[in-house]
Amino acid sequence: MSDASEVARIRRMQDLPSTHLLGSGTSMCAGCGGLGAFRELYEVLGERSVVVNAAGCMSLLATYPFTPFRGSWLYTAMASAPAGAQGVRDALDILVAKRRIAAEEDLRVVVLTGDGAACGMGLSATSAAIDRGLDFIYLCYDNEGYGNTGQQTSASTPHGARTATDRGPRGYPGVKKDLFAIWAAHRPAYVATIIAAEPVDLARKVEKAKRMKGPRLLIALAPCPPGWGFDPKDTIEIGRLAVRTGVWPLKEYANGRVVHTKRYEPRLPVEQYLARQRRFAHLFEPRRDEETLAAIQRAVDENSARVE
Amino acid sequence: MYRIRLHGRGGQGIQTGARILGSALFAEGFETQDAPLYGAERRGAPISATVRAARAPIRERGLLLQPDLIVVGDESLVGVTAAGVLQGASERPWLLIRSGVASETWLRRLGRSDRVATFALEIEEGAELAFVGAACAGAAARMLGVVSRAALERALAGELGALSPEARTESTRRALAAWDSLAPLAGCVAEGLALSGSPAERPAWVDLPLDPADVAAPDVRAPLSSVQVRTGLWRTLRPVIDDSLCRRCSWVCSTFCPDGAISIDPDGRPRIDYDHCKGCLVCAAVCPPHAIRVERETGREPEPETDA
Amino acid sequence: MSRTLLSGNAAVAWGARLAGADYVPAFPITPQTEIIETLAGWIATGELDARTVMFESEHSMLTAAGAAAATGVRVFTATSSQGLLYAMEMLYAVAGWRAPFVLVNVSRAVAAPITLHSDHGDVLAARDTGFLQLHAATCQEAVDLVLLAYRVAEDPRVRLPALVNLDGFLLSFTREPVDLPEAEAARRFVGPFEPGAVSFRASRPVSQAVAVLGGGPYSYFRYEMHRAAEHAAVVFAEVAAAFAAETGRAYDAVECYRCDDAEVVFFLIGSLSTTAKDAVDRLREARARVGLVRPRLLRPFPAEALRRALAGKSAVAVVDQDLSIGMGGVLHSELAAALYGLAGAPLLASFVGGLGGRHVGVDELCAIADEALAASRAGRSPAPRLLYTETELREVRKLQAIAHGERHEVAQPAKPAGDTDE
Repeated sequence: MSDASEVARIRRMQDLPSTHLLGSGTSMCAGCGGLGAFRELYEVLGERSVVVNAAGCMSLLATYPFTPFRGSWLYTAMASAPAGAQGVRDALDILVAKRRIAAEEDLRVVVLTGDGAACGMGLSATSAAIDRGLDFIYLCYDNEGYGNTGQQTSASTPHGARTATDRGPRGYPGVKKDLFAIWAAHRPAYVATIIAAEPVDLARKVEKAKRMKGPRLLIALAPCPPGWGFDPKDTIEIGRLAVRTGVWPLKEYANGRVVHTKRYEPRLPVEQYLARQRRFAHLFEPRRDEETLAAIQRAVDENSARVE
Repeated sequence: MYRIRLHGRGGQGIQTGARILGSALFAEGFETQDAPLYGAERRGAPISATVRAARAPIRERGLLLQPDLIVVGDESLVGVTAAGVLQGASERPWLLIRSGVASETWLRRLGRSDRVATFALEIEEGAELAFVGAACAGAAARMLGVVSRAALERALAGELGALSPEARTESTRRALAAWDSLAPLAGCVAEGLALSGSPAERPAWVDLPLDPADVAAPDVRAPLSSVQVRTGLWRTLRPVIDDSLCRRCSWVCSTFCPDGAISIDPDGRPRIDYDHCKGCLVCAAVCPPHAIRVERETGREPEPETDA
Repeated sequence: MSRTLLSGNAAVAWGARLAGADYVPAFPITPQTEIIETLAGWIATGELDARTVMFESEHSMLTAAGAAAATGVRVFTATSSQGLLYAMEMLYAVAGWRAPFVLVNVSRAVAAPITLHSDHGDVLAARDTGFLQLHAATCQEAVDLVLLAYRVAEDPRVRLPALVNLDGFLLSFTREPVDLPEAEAARRFVGPFEPGAVSFRASRPVSQAVAVLGGGPYSYFRYEMHRAAEHAAVVFAEVAAAFAAETGRAYDAVECYRCDDAEVVFFLIGSLSTTAKDAVDRLREARARVGLVRPRLLRPFPAEALRRALAGKSAVAVVDQDLSIGMGGVLHSELAAALYGLAGAPLLASFVGGLGGRHVGVDELCAIADEALAASRAGRSPAPRLLYTETELREVRKLQAIAHGERHEVAQPAKPAGDTDE
């Protein structure tokens, strides 16, 4: 079966893997949007992989003596997971080239970090890895803050959100870093946004990335019940609203073009997404903050207009 | 010195409860020390906190191994060895368990002859349990017999300031009600010795052997060992699939469960792995025909007996 | 064996080549850059069957080094000073991964103020990381210690990365005659890289370097590193004996020069030791009984060998080319700890010099020996001395005057009692 048809084969939920590869029993929060996305990705990529991790919530996936992986895993440090991935990738290539291991022993190299590492101190390592044309897949689970330490503001925190370190009446004054654009500016093989709430779109993109070579980077918006202030059972609904309001456009970059992979028109007003999360409660109570709400809606409208 | 240990689950306000008790004792003129014991801080995961109070400045800190009073905010933790509820629970310390089950039953379950008390809280279906810690603090304060109602009120006002007015009122009400209800046991907890430890208890020191690096490296070589961690014990609410309503649609529940705790059996029916289901209830939220109902998680081993 | 003129940088590059390094993650920094350039040249011509990758920082470079070693290849890398410090988080981390490789540090004084010349402030900052640590005194030792380091680091009961230090400029850019082992003999000596279970293979999945919660388990992993590092002393002796049989060059963990009947000995590390041997000979000509004790192995700290070497000596002049601000010379503290309580332990006299490449010559070393001797006669350790002369102070004052755009009165230094100007 050709690569394109493998991807095209995934059209509905029924086409998704029905056995779960990633083990249960991890200490991720109930309702973790990042875990949902990573699990789905792992199911498509498979266990012939080594996941190289930077400090963040998911560093606790493997805590001695427990691991949920059928494949391999390496915890590195917060700033340097892509460099660790480079070391593993190069070593495997050397071992295969020098015939010190059989080709079947080779592994796919996957980097897994949160937005804290990806948008902050890990940016230089990622940038350099793309420059070097590293053959790897990078998944950033983006819960829009330094989640593992209690949801402090990160470069990925959206405008107006309250965090543990932006506690004033108008929330975070900055704007969310456009990691997609930064990565795409490096002209890697592939960049895409995904979300657990859209599993078919996610699986298609991971399947597509799996069949390419070079730097392939994915960002999964990761709705975070304790960090964003909503009940764990709403994690999929919040994800759906993120997509349907246009806050989280599902798009991909390849060969110099950025296109939407799924679009909901007309978009729902962003308020419907914001109102469900206590981190935005100050935009509605005790009074509506019309200025900030309008700014957020405007930003979403402009972003949407820029993508095919 | 009074040494008190509180146990509960993340999200039940146990840390706040320890601070309330610590502040109340401080207000009564004691030298105090209170601290949470951090593990993986996740909603639903077992956590504990310590409170010490004495007439002289307190020098000991850390693990509290000789408690005078053990307060258990979530009875399901008694059966969870990793939660450490019964650590140091010789015949001496009092156990106070938030439970609807009678204390006589607990005495039997725990193989004790005396010094087990219970208290119950009226809780609505699906309610947030953030006030449990405050209630534990109130109950514990009464059992110590050295904290007046007024001191408890002052402590509540001081420690609950960060909460919303509704949450503050709720926690205050619950704490004072618990204080009132423990009147029959007022002052039953006696102070322990000023100095902890015993000169006769010498640690059994060993000289570590030199292990080969394969063993002495912090690596986990058993894939999927995480399934031995029964995160199902985090659950306070349980999703239950009604097979008569389930349409075996496209295994929506299985795809969206973040932890991969729903698998498909040979008949194509989804089955929930209750050893690992964290009770996030995403499945119930996403099920198209609403075939998944939510039930209160009943007691765990030891199984409750059939009395009130 | 061929005898050829090699700089220290070229020598360690040869060490990596003879050891059959597979992978060279790289980042440039003075004074080691020549090492990675040399290796890159050989890789380009095929003389070295390896890959080299330029990273964007030393922190990333060390991460990749450890990750590649943890995957199962023989890794070589090099850095200095600021680069070593930037990578410091990862030195601790990769040592804890129990993935062996060789890191060469070309020592260079650390900022601030930023400078280029050698001292041991950088390498000694790595002493707690879990890396084994060896110090070369000559360009010959530079190549030989790299080969020994691979053998010791890769031993199954050690499995810790190793740092081989050579002094910047004094060795890195200085050419000396070096006997290069033949490629085949070196390959046989070092042997193939056996990764063992610390490796990545599809057929043997493993989660490496996982989080460990709880003081009991964490302590186990750290204690085991320490036990392994201690055992490295035994392995070093075995490997050095094999090397001596192969090459005729014998390397003890601690070099002792004219020590047997010495009253006073110098204690120092690195290339200053060759100057110190000249000072010993000069003093011996004048009938002073002086010797030199010089560790090649600093981690594990060769306490037992040092106690044997120094028991019964009257005084030790410890010359630190490093300074722990607020404490003093690092070697002085470590030696004092090793000798404490030893019957017949010598008096220790602490001298700090050579910072930022400050020249320490035979004359100054002779004066240091005199101090130590006087101290041993008086039965009292002198106060630690930061080596600096009137001339140097005068020069600094002139520079300060320029820097501040004013003319200052030159402050007079406090002279030690009974001292005379050179």
